[in-house]
Parts: sequence; structure tokens; C-alpha cells
Amino acid sequence: MTRWNDGAEEVSAVSPDITDETNALPARYFTDPDVWEMEKEKIFSRYWVYAGHENCIPETGDYFTRTVGDKQVVVARDEDGDVRAFYNVCAHRGSKMVEDTPMTDPGNMGRIQCPYHLWTYDLDGDLRSTPRSFEEASLNPDLDDADVSGLDPDENGLMEVRTDDIGPLVFLNFADDPPLTLAEQAGKLKTRLESLPLSEYEHARRYVSEVECNWKTFGGNYSECDHCQANHQDWIRGIQLDESELEVNDYHWVLHYTHEEDVEDELRIHDEHEAQFHYFWPNFTVNMYGTADGYGTYIVDPIDEGRFQLIADYYFAESDLSEDEEEFVRTSRQLQEEDFELCERQYEGLRSGALGQGQLGPNEHTLHRFHRLAQEAYDA
Amino acid sequence: MARNDSPVASCPDCEERRTAEDPNEVVRFYRRHHAVTGHDVVWERPPSLPDLPPNADVEDAVAALGDPDAALGTVAAAASEWGWTVGETLDAVHDRRLTGALWEPRDDHVAVV
Repeated sequence: MTRWNDGAEEVSAVSPDITDETNALPARYFTDPDVWEMEKEKIFSRYWVYAGHENCIPETGDYFTRTVGDKQVVVARDEDGDVRAFYNVCAHRGSKMVEDTPMTDPGNMGRIQCPYHLWTYDLDGDLRSTPRSFEEASLNPDLDDADVSGLDPDENGLMEVRTDDIGPLVFLNFADDPPLTLAEQAGKLKTRLESLPLSEYEHARRYVSEVECNWKTFGGNYSECDHCQANHQDWIRGIQLDESELEVNDYHWVLHYTHEEDVEDELRIHDEHEAQFHYFWPNFTVNMYGTADGYGTYIVDPIDEGRFQLIADYYFAESDLSEDEEEFVRTSRQLQEEDFELCERQYEGLRSGALGQGQLGPNEHTLHRFHRLAQEAYDA
Repeated sequence: MARNDSPVASCPDCEERRTAEDPNEVVRFYRRHHAVTGHDVVWERPPSLPDLPPNADVEDAVAALGDPDAALGTVAAAASEWGWTVGETLDAVHDRRLTGALWEPRDDHVAVV
């Protein structure tokens, strides 16, 4: 029975059993600003989230910034060649230090310096130096210079954010004590991606779109292809949906699509004769294409409860694309536009308040997994 | 729901467009878009505004708008008449604020000192 908002207020938590009526996330979890506030802590500050691609910062001092909810980090290559992340916040009085710097246009710095009072940090986050005015008390008549003990570099460094990686893909975790390691959260996805030569491919294109719907609306749309027949008619011609497969794991799910006409082996980064679209909880996807020698990633980045940015990155053997690769990216963009329209249309319906709790079909088990993970996070 | 004649801004690099009822929505769009792409944003269809002197400074644009505190998006729309991008206008406003010629009476609004 569909649960309308007809005054009965009959909604329930997402049932673990997909055959139950209450197998979907209640609609208010997509539209309520308080839920987005909760998600910033219970989802985006608790699970591993994608930061960016380490190939984009190959040299010591290369860096980019990444904002997740209200938190911003500087992701930088340190003197030892390791990628580290620090809150973009000075230890002095909390100023934001470096300007927003996208992964696609990274900066380079010898040290991290706050422009406010020039506190300067090494690339490992240790405090390197402060201006002389912090080392003497010339302006304070109550103190002598000898009273100033100076600042311990180790104790007054930047606040580091935990990082880990899968191949060249760098992830962040803001929790003091994360409930899962990245390996635990990624499970088989880690093994699968690490078996592929992802590091050998170069970043070629980034497209960023703003969409007027909740981030989970798009995440749900990505997780199933029942809508494809009706809505992606150009794309669907080359796909055999009858032979597609949905694989559900703990924190990721995979949509495997078989192409009607097999493609040349050299046109494929992976050996499987199919496309594989991985959704990795909470908001990252890895797209292994069946018809192009390259791969893509999506970051489904919430702006607030009613908007998100889709950050679509494409990786190919070379950053200068061939005509076929350009055409491939155009087709991908077209699919995104079609999906945006579907998601915004769905969201308009959700926002009307008519629906209390939708219901998922028995083959929407990937989506059920997504809704269950959201429910588990809210309950944690 | 935005009307067909609502102001529009877009990114020339990746063709992302934003239809705005509120000019400052374009400023917020620019900041988000610039933060993840490094791209600038231009007004494709600015809102109707008073005529501005040609080749003036951003300070003159703020003054010509006649508001006690002008929305940054409106200032950027006005400056687009000179061919300025949203990013260029915000940079110019930033520079003028640091010299004390402009101040910010409330968030994302500026006034001539």
C-alpha cells in the first residue's frame, strides 16, 4: 500500500526486507533541511568520502581543496611523496588559509601559509614559523620577552584529516574514530579497482552541473536502469538489458551492462565484456565503460537538501581526446542531462508533500541497499 | 519557478547555465562552480538595470545602481555591460573593499563609502 500524506502519517523506517511495504526511505528524508544538517554529521563526517585523484598532484607541494558539507580540506603532496589532507584552517585564530583550488587546476606551494598573520606550516602540517610578533612581548607591558615560551611546532600544527586510497583515488574520513576502514567500507570494490591500471590514465575532462533535487534522488536514479528503456533511447540501442546484472555488496553496488555488439579488446580498460557502473556509498561512482578506453567518476555533492552538484570527471590514456572520445563524453553528458530532468521531475513530486513513503520494486534491490544505508546512518 | 525571461548566467567553458530570480544566486553559483572547476561565469542574459557610464570602475557601477546597498550579483550584471565576467567583478569589488572605497553593509551587498 502506498503511504500518502493523507493525515494518517503512516511511515516507517526502511524495512530490511525488500518485500515489505515500507521498503523505501520516507519522503521527508529527501526534502527536510534538518535531515541535510543531520547527514553532514552522520554520513559525510562518518564514512569515507572521495577527495580526488592523486595523479592531479604529482609534485611535492601540489595541492587542491575539497569541500564536504561545511568542512574544507587542503589535499597536498608532502615532501615524502605522500598525499595528506589538512583542514583549511589556521591553528592561530581559525582563518581559512588557501583559496578554493580545484583538483583540475591545482596549486603548488612550498609551505602552507595563512595570509592573515603569516603563520606558516610545513607540508606535513607542523608549524614552521610565526612572525616575530608572536615570539616577543614588545607591545604588552605586562610581559617580558623572556615570558614568551614560543610555540611547539608539533603541538601547534594543522589538524590532519585521515586519508586512504584505492589506486590513485584518494578518500577522506573526518571521524575521530571511523567505524570502518576504507578497505572495510569498499570491500570487493577495492580489490576490483586495484586490479585495473587506473593510475596510467590521465584526467581529461571535468563537467560540473547543478541539479535541483536532493543528492539521494540522483543516487537512486544512478542505481537502477529500469528507467533507461523509456528515457535513454539513444543509449539503450546498444545495450542488452536482458543480460544486465545488479550486484549488491555492503557499501557499494554494481550495474553490469552487456553491449549488443562486442567491442575491440583494445577499446576497453578492463577485461570484462561489459560496462560496470559502481556506486560507492555515500556519494561516489566509478564508471567503467564498455565502449571506450577510459573511465569516469561522479561525485554527487550535496549543496543543501534540494540541490546537488554532479562533478563528472573523465580519464583517458591521454588528456587530449580523440574525436571518438569527445563524442563519447558528449553522449555521457547527454545521459546526465536526461537523468537530471528525471530527477528534478521526481523531486518536484516529492517536494509537494503528497507522498509519505514510496515503495520499491523487487528488482530495485540496489536502491533498497542505498535506502537501508541511509536509514542505518540516521539511526547510528 | 523561473520565467523564460529570468536572468541567466553561464560558464563558457562547460556550458553550465544558471537561471536566477535573485542576482546574488549567480554569485553563489559562480563561487561553487569556480571552486571545483576554476572556471569563470558570465552573464548570458543580465537583468534590466540603469545605464552605466562606459568603461567606468566598479565603484561607479555601485553608485549608479542607486541602492544604499547593492547586491553583488546586480553589480556583476551591471559590469557585464563592460564585458566583465562575474569573477572579474568580484575581484574588482574585493580590491576596492581593501582600499576602503566600498564596504559591505550586509552579506553579499556593497555600498560606496
